[in-house]
Amino acid sequence: MLDLLDSPGMVHTIYVLGSMALFSIGLYGLLARRHLIKIFIAIAIMELSVYLLFIALATSPGETAPILADGLTRFAGMADPVPQALTLTAIVIGMAVLAFGVTLAIHYHRLTGIRDIDAMTELKD
Amino acid sequence: MTALVKLLFLAASLSPAATLLVWDGALAWPLFGDVTLLFDLAPLSAFFLLLVALGAPLAAIPMLRDDAEWPTYALYALLLVGMQVLLLAGDFIGLFVGWEIMTWSSYLLLLRSPRTTLATAQSYILLNLLSAFALLGGILVYYSLTGGFAIQAVADLGPWQGLALIGPLALAFLIKVGTVPLHLWVPCSYDEAPDTFSAVLSALLSKMGIYGLILLLTLLPGGLAGGLSGGLGGLYGHLLDGPAAGYVLGWIGVITSIVATFKAIAQEDMKRLLAYSSIAQVGYITTAIGVGSSLAIGGALFHALVHTLIKLLLFTTIAGIVLRTGLRSFKDLGRLIYRMPISFFGVLIGIIGLAGMPPLPGFASKYLIFVSLIDARWLLLLAAMILSSTAAFLYCYRLIYAPFLGHANSPQARTATEAPWQYLVPEVVLMGLLVALGLFPGLGVRLFVDPVLTALGLTPLGSPSWGELATPYGGYDGVVVMAVFGGAFVVVTSLFFLLRGRMRQAASPYDLSYAGEVPDETTPLHYGAGMGRELRRIPLVAWILGHSTQGLYAGLVRQTQAAAGLLAGLYSGRPQVWILLAVLVFAAALTVQLLAGGI
Amino acid sequence: MALPLTPIWFIALPLLLAFLAPLWARLRLLLPLLFGAQVVLLALAAALVPAVRQAPLLETIVIAPPLGIHLHLDAVALLLVTLFHGAAALLALFVWLDEGVAHLRGPRPFVLLLLLVAGCDGMVLTGDLFNLYVFLEIAGVTAYALSALHRDRAGLEAGLKYVVIGSVAAVFFLFAVVLIYLQTGQLNIAAVAADFAAIPAPMQVLIGLSLLVGLGIKAELFPFNFWVPDIYQGSDPAVASLFSGVLVKAFLFVLFHLAFLLLADPRVAQVWLMGLGAATLLVAETVALRQPDLRRMLAYSSLGQIGLIALALGFTSEATTAGALFHMVNHTLAKLLLFLVAGLLIRRAASARLEALTGLGRQMPLAAGLFVLASLSVLGLPPLAGFASKLWILTGFAEAQVFWPIALILFGALLEAGYYFRWVKALYATGDAPVARGPAPAPARSAYLPLLLIAALLLLLGAAPFLLEADLVGAAQALLDRAATIEGVLGAQP
Repeated sequence: MLDLLDSPGMVHTIYVLGSMALFSIGLYGLLARRHLIKIFIAIAIMELSVYLLFIALATSPGETAPILADGLTRFAGMADPVPQALTLTAIVIGMAVLAFGVTLAIHYHRLTGIRDIDAMTELKD
Repeated sequence: MTALVKLLFLAASLSPAATLLVWDGALAWPLFGDVTLLFDLAPLSAFFLLLVALGAPLAAIPMLRDDAEWPTYALYALLLVGMQVLLLAGDFIGLFVGWEIMTWSSYLLLLRSPRTTLATAQSYILLNLLSAFALLGGILVYYSLTGGFAIQAVADLGPWQGLALIGPLALAFLIKVGTVPLHLWVPCSYDEAPDTFSAVLSALLSKMGIYGLILLLTLLPGGLAGGLSGGLGGLYGHLLDGPAAGYVLGWIGVITSIVATFKAIAQEDMKRLLAYSSIAQVGYITTAIGVGSSLAIGGALFHALVHTLIKLLLFTTIAGIVLRTGLRSFKDLGRLIYRMPISFFGVLIGIIGLAGMPPLPGFASKYLIFVSLIDARWLLLLAAMILSSTAAFLYCYRLIYAPFLGHANSPQARTATEAPWQYLVPEVVLMGLLVALGLFPGLGVRLFVDPVLTALGLTPLGSPSWGELATPYGGYDGVVVMAVFGGAFVVVTSLFFLLRGRMRQAASPYDLSYAGEVPDETTPLHYGAGMGRELRRIPLVAWILGHSTQGLYAGLVRQTQAAAGLLAGLYSGRPQVWILLAVLVFAAALTVQLLAGGI
Repeated sequence: MALPLTPIWFIALPLLLAFLAPLWARLRLLLPLLFGAQVVLLALAAALVPAVRQAPLLETIVIAPPLGIHLHLDAVALLLVTLFHGAAALLALFVWLDEGVAHLRGPRPFVLLLLLVAGCDGMVLTGDLFNLYVFLEIAGVTAYALSALHRDRAGLEAGLKYVVIGSVAAVFFLFAVVLIYLQTGQLNIAAVAADFAAIPAPMQVLIGLSLLVGLGIKAELFPFNFWVPDIYQGSDPAVASLFSGVLVKAFLFVLFHLAFLLLADPRVAQVWLMGLGAATLLVAETVALRQPDLRRMLAYSSLGQIGLIALALGFTSEATTAGALFHMVNHTLAKLLLFLVAGLLIRRAASARLEALTGLGRQMPLAAGLFVLASLSVLGLPPLAGFASKLWILTGFAEAQVFWPIALILFGALLEAGYYFRWVKALYATGDAPVARGPAPAPARSAYLPLLLIAALLLLLGAAPFLLEADLVGAAQALLDRAATIEGVLGAQP
């Protein structure tokens, strides 16, 4: 019974569902929260769901990290290294954008005392 | 420095004349692909280039008087370049390039006047751009039909294809001509433009629309030369002795002239009156083009020539009055005949031509148009045209009476002096040209009209002598008529001056009383103020005067603005709304696509 | 040592200069270097023209495609890169000569401007999907930072809004890249294109729509472009000119390049992209009619032009594509001019409102004249460059006997005239004495030099579009010829 849970199809399904749940949480936060920092957190959660999806679906249960060491000398049975490298890059980029966004939000708050996204009304017709 | 700039400007204004005289051979300028601009001088365009060559320097001389800076001069030169490109173009792209340069440079010139309002500027540029874009649309239809841009008759054309081609092109040219109900931009822009520039607008720019209309007829299979079997008649059949589609154009022209004539009579402003009269006159030409016979096209060309001269003369003279008095309203002027005698003669000659009375050439051209209508048996049109032509006498009378005769209604009118020489020189030249053309209408036909008719494949009108204008329905000799009228004029004038001393006995103009009231200095005694008011009692005329297309256009603008306001709601400035919309669109499109894919 | 002329310099040189910014700041070389770098890269682009006319250049980094990363310089990429560096050079010259744009003259904007151009170059040149994502983010982050360059209320608000919407776009794009990799196991664009048809249809739809939303937001297409006016209004006009002239063009190119390569059936792309283009054109031109703010008006006008370009590119015929690429060039030049002039006018009037700018044309005749000239080009009136490119697009449609885009484009132009001429009229209006103007003095005469240069270019391209004809047609063919592109890349495999 529990073996079923270990089959690649099942594991992938669980990850997809989890990723979708994370994405939905992020989207909800993005659309429903008005605090600027919370919005950035929501965006980070959405990005996270994509990373999770990528790593999870590119790897099957039983594969090891793609590192040649400790007696591992052949590429057999290893996970595809490309998604991991890409995800690392994407995390770095996402982090940088997040940091930049939060910096702007803090500056904005110091200047105007506003942290509500709907209160930003300087730019309009 | 200033003198140098003015000299350069004069030289530039002579450029159309130089082109007309010097041009020989064709010029090609490649743009891209198979789009190449071809320039050549055909007889039809040479005729209209002649109008520009005559009008450009005559309209430029008064501009020297203004303290106009170099932008005005540069824009005017650009306008002339545009008109030359338009007329020389042997292909539609060149025509369009010229058309557009003309449009926007004249718009920028219009902005030079401090009186131009936003509404006027917008109506001018938007209607003219509508005309330009309709032209471009028609050109593209032409391109898809023929695979090229060179202006030549289309070989084969069905009725629907014909409509797709003629529709946009006719719309383009009719806007430029200013036919009802597309004339909204004409009165306000002629009125508010710089006074010396209004002459150019009326005399030269409106002629480009006429050029386009005649050009349009030559495009159709068989062209004008095919008579009733070719052109509009070939496409849509005949009515009586003319092309049925031309009949529609004829009515557009006549309705335009009737409406514009009555509107003109009711105007209070001199320039506005001239603007409406300009619309009416061009309406006659439009009707003639609708007839499309040799007589009619001849009449249309001749009338175009005469109208150019007359409107240059009248607008320049009126500009002189406005310059000297600062007033443009009939009710403020009067009695200027003693202060501005040369201007008086300018307007006198102008209105005689405008009314189409012998001995001036306005009669000759209208006569040709009338005869062509009789020839086509379009008698209802003829009757309508005679109605409008007769009613035109009223505004002509007003134009001479209100500023020059009667009682001076303002201190400015009492102290005005004659217009400066920059205005008088073109006036005198134009008066001379008009009188000469009135003396020798046959020569005018032979020199200017017949070459064009021959080139279009029509029978030339011909004339037995310089003075004689001949048609199949009889003609007249300009020299004889001029002699009779001149004699009568001399007799009446000399009688007037002989009896002048005795007529002076009437004493003060305030020496009268009615209904027990004695007028004083402040009572307006001038008929110019109220003239045309009583016309409102006539049913049809009252309807025309009571309605205008302004409401229609204002409504259109309002609706567009409302749509803009509605759509602007989407650009709300709230990031969460943007994201929500994007996600919703994504989800909706995904659902639709997956369902449509049948999964 | 002779440096090899390779496309990699387009990306490497700006990056190198940007990282050494403190050094240049110490030496007071920032502004000359900013301008000089662009000129050098323009020269490089010119030097590469003959080679690219022969065949596209493939610059492999480490391993050959499809495994390695490579830069793919074909005719259309070269055209765009040239355009970007030309625009950046003109802007750099303006910043150098006009002392009024003080906050664009420090080391921070120096770095950001260089990075923005490098990012745009990278997006156009790269042949790898993930690389594309990286460059997209580089260009994106620098754009956020540039719009928040002014640390005032409007600037920060623009920056914040831009970060939020830009991040969402990036998530969608990343999602699509992830799905593509999971489905095909490839990241090389050409290899993905070759395998794309094998992906199950529903997954194709999901990938396609994610790409469309992600890139549609960045490329400012209709239901995704609501953020644009706010950002353009809050940014400095000089920065906005770069957004409208360079950044959007790069994203638009990426969107169409991917669409043409991935979809074997061009009709799908035609329906979607032409539809979005038409909607963008119509909505933007209508909304602009009521704008009382010059920067927002220009933003809407920019959207309208983007819609026009998308409409023409989406039609996938050679004539409309060549015309659309030409229109990209002309629109970049015209908007550069418009935004820079707008910057001068706004600084003088200390406001961007219609009322405040009324009558300013009499005080700044040259600036107003340039504004009119650029407006005429945007409207597509001869003899300016905008006319030639619009005519090219229109004849392309007429050749194919498709008339609804012609009617739409002409109607859009009429609407556009409705608002541009309203502003022109306001600039030349007389009447009320100008109300209290800001303390800003008239700009230095030399600041007009780059502006006059742009005006001259607009006139030249309008009168002699045949100068660019061969390159534009070559670029259009390169963009449309899917098979040749795929073969060119995969055939280069050892």
